[in-house]
Amino acid sequence: TMDVAAEDSDQMPSGFHAKAAAKAARLRREAAKLASAAALESPGGIESRPGEWAPTQSKLLRRVAVAARPGHFELSLQYGPYSVAYDTTGRLLALCGRGGHVAAFEWRQKRLMFESQVNEPCHALTWVGAGSTPQLAVAHSNWTYIYDAQGLELHCLKRLHKANKLFWLPRHWLLAACTDTGHLHWQDVSTGQTVASYCGHHGPLRVSALHPDSGCVLTGQPNGQLCIWTPLEKRPVVKILCCPAGVRAVATAPAGHAVYTLGGDSRLRVWDIRCLRPLSVSDNGADAASIRLFDAAPQLAVSQRGLLACPVRQGAALMVLPAGGAKPLLSHPSPGRLSDLAFCPWEDVLAFGHARGLGSVLVPGSGEPNPDGAVHPLSGKRQRREAEVRGLLDKLPPETIAPPAVGGGVNAVDAEGIEEALARKRAAVMALPSDEVRQFQPRRRSGKASGELNRKVGERWQRRRMELRQLLKSKKRVLAEMGDEGADAAGGRKTKKAKKISQSGELTKPATGTFLDRLIPKAD
Amino acid sequence: MKVKLLLRNPQDYLRETADDIHKLARNPAPELHPMSAETEYVRALNAAKLERVFAKPFLGCFGDQGDQLSRVCMHPRALSLCLSGCVDGRVAFWNIPRRSRVLQLDAHSGCVQGLCWHPEQDLFYSCCDTDRTLKAWRVGDDLVEFSRPVSQRHLDFAPLNLDHHVSKDLFALSGDAVYLYDSRRSDPVGQWKWGSDSVLQARFNPTEWHLLAAVTKDNALLLIDTRQREPLRRIRCEFRQNALCWNPQEPFVLATASDDYNLYSWDARRLASPACVYRGHTNAAMDVDFAPTGRELVSASYDCTVRLWESGRSQSRDVYHTKRMYRVFAARYSLDARFIVTASADFNLRLWKARASEKLGALTPRERAAVNTAEALKQKYAHHPQVRRIVQHRHLPKRLYQAQLEMKAIRGKQRRKEVNRREHRGEDKEPFVPERDRHVRGVDE
Repeated sequence: TMDVAAEDSDQMPSGFHAKAAAKAARLRREAAKLASAAALESPGGIESRPGEWAPTQSKLLRRVAVAARPGHFELSLQYGPYSVAYDTTGRLLALCGRGGHVAAFEWRQKRLMFESQVNEPCHALTWVGAGSTPQLAVAHSNWTYIYDAQGLELHCLKRLHKANKLFWLPRHWLLAACTDTGHLHWQDVSTGQTVASYCGHHGPLRVSALHPDSGCVLTGQPNGQLCIWTPLEKRPVVKILCCPAGVRAVATAPAGHAVYTLGGDSRLRVWDIRCLRPLSVSDNGADAASIRLFDAAPQLAVSQRGLLACPVRQGAALMVLPAGGAKPLLSHPSPGRLSDLAFCPWEDVLAFGHARGLGSVLVPGSGEPNPDGAVHPLSGKRQRREAEVRGLLDKLPPETIAPPAVGGGVNAVDAEGIEEALARKRAAVMALPSDEVRQFQPRRRSGKASGELNRKVGERWQRRRMELRQLLKSKKRVLAEMGDEGADAAGGRKTKKAKKISQSGELTKPATGTFLDRLIPKAD
Repeated sequence: MKVKLLLRNPQDYLRETADDIHKLARNPAPELHPMSAETEYVRALNAAKLERVFAKPFLGCFGDQGDQLSRVCMHPRALSLCLSGCVDGRVAFWNIPRRSRVLQLDAHSGCVQGLCWHPEQDLFYSCCDTDRTLKAWRVGDDLVEFSRPVSQRHLDFAPLNLDHHVSKDLFALSGDAVYLYDSRRSDPVGQWKWGSDSVLQARFNPTEWHLLAAVTKDNALLLIDTRQREPLRRIRCEFRQNALCWNPQEPFVLATASDDYNLYSWDARRLASPACVYRGHTNAAMDVDFAPTGRELVSASYDCTVRLWESGRSQSRDVYHTKRMYRVFAARYSLDARFIVTASADFNLRLWKARASEKLGALTPRERAAVNTAEALKQKYAHHPQVRRIVQHRHLPKRLYQAQLEMKAIRGKQRRKEVNRREHRGEDKEPFVPERDRHVRGVDE
């Protein structure tokens, strides 16, 4: 469903569509009002006086309650640059290092779930499954492994070879992967079926992100293109040129339609994935097309409320920008070169992995305050179990993964199907048997057993002649219905409607402004 | 500098005691619910599939009666009782929930042609054409007190069916004519006839107390007002109507089961054509009954199936068949519109659910909510091809399926021929006749 601004209403094809869009927008506003009225919590934030510097973590800690302290910690670890991942509830944090260190823990209580050394470089990780039976998918140097909550290796996915990014699609129960070899994989974790696995033929896919609302994978190419991939198409469904130089990083918000791209020109641009047009960002109060991020390393993370985190000073520090703004909200130095950033869902916390371990900082205003359902940090075990069962029952088929720009959806009118049917009808009408074909007589054979053969051929041709006669009749009928003058000329009967139209002097029906206009016979 | 950090109090999210239900956080904001239409569609699909998984309408067989059953009659006030009449003259009294026979009477020497209950008293009537008698039996405390009838009446015609008035002490016998009898008088109070052929069934309108409808052997449907000497109307149909039933909720609607495999529902105010043609059976429809709600119909057919219909929709909602069930001659709804009792030529009465996937037994509020949600989802996505194909599909045994395909082919051929004729002769000589107008030969007043 599209959010249509008021000024877009005149771009609607007809009054019916404008009314429907206005109604949808009104319902959305009412839902938002209801949501805010029933809200339990309010979002966090920083109110600073003009001229005040962005706060440090110590300053924040002095001003917030003691209960917030678990969100700020640092771990000094030795096994290489770390990648971090939160699960969808925001309760669990996992890390994997290039030195082979894999661990998972509940970050609030600092309760370690498991920690192991896998003796292989690990490049990416993601939590899969629902909160009741959390499993961790880790991309090792060759294959991808799935570990359970105790660190036992459950599966080795050899098909996900040299994956550099793993994505979890919770509504489809799919594990998606982009690889250094240029392949894309979608694996169903509930049934174990490989939904799609193909080579994209667009070079190694090193820059990628998931669009969670639709389930599509976005990749950034060195030629500045942004490609959108779905499991059903072996080619990118959409390609847009988003940067003049190569795309260095792509990120999406956990909900919504914004896509952030960091180009080779160090400029951050925001795109609307629904219409594939740039959204303007504010640079020092003024609207701009892009924000210049100086010395930014290519990692981006976006929070639920639109805050953007990126490394600056070649990974020596991280910076958090407000939604659509350029003035940093806060910054934090990193002990090692930053390698990964992840916002905690439902909390005002940001985790970052660097060359010497990982850390976690408080970012007021980044988490969505009011969750829906059982997917939030304080849901109990039983609720998570039930939510998992419901999630499995509501598992969406992979056909629903489609970029919003392409349209469709389960409630969309199958305009293409209708068009195709009409086109087929018209083609059938236009493809008349020629006179030679109609007057053809089969060659009579002679010799042994020719009587039988001649009889059979004659019968077959008789049947074909009947078919051709039917075809001619139906063509006349359809042309008559369409009000074509040619029907009269061809000797077909005119329907009452056709007679009326031809009497009134109009050959064609008035244009309706829809796709059916293509099939109105043109007046020559 | 003012700093506010999002901090949740766990007490707001945890239930207070173990007896409470778990708290569920709710946020209807659409950003948190992407792909809601797709999720709803998947739920509708699952609802349709689960409905088919749980569709087990056959509840049980009432036990072998020993000979072919001709009539079934439900008790007008008690849910769990019904009568059945046999071709060898026995009348059996059944307890439906236990599916057991309470009592059996040797009522007649020939086929029991008519069975009906008195609306208020614990009395039922049976009639037979071979011995030409009408007998009244008293029932008390679900046992017949005497195995002899309370009263017996010898008729000078062979009765083919019997119906009692909804409140007055009148009953209608159909034989060579429609006879109206008062229980206190020995001679008939009224007699109606049109033509020379016998009347197969006559039924009182439950709301319009003076109105009777009758079906005759010469393919006619009669409408009779008991205050008039002659029948009001005669509708001459193409084929014989085997049974008829008045709609208990709509006073002017009646349904008939026809030999041409269709059921027809008629509006008594406008009898020129049927209000709806119910097509689906592949052999003669033998019996029809309205549900007490007046919104559904059940039909028993010679093709060994029972079909359920929604009033006004010409395609059946469901079809029941069993390997052992042979020609079905009678089908009746229970008083609560939840069960169907059928009598068939394999000597058995069978009990079925009216809603095949309904759970019998008490539903908890959550179950009820889930059922209602599933129903609403199926209706919302009813047009969607994948959902429609699951909801509509019914397995049929091979010969029934082949019969259905044959009927389709025959209809297709008839339609094509009409289209060709219309093209050849022109629309004025071969006008398009809608389905409803094809089945009535004429209406006589």
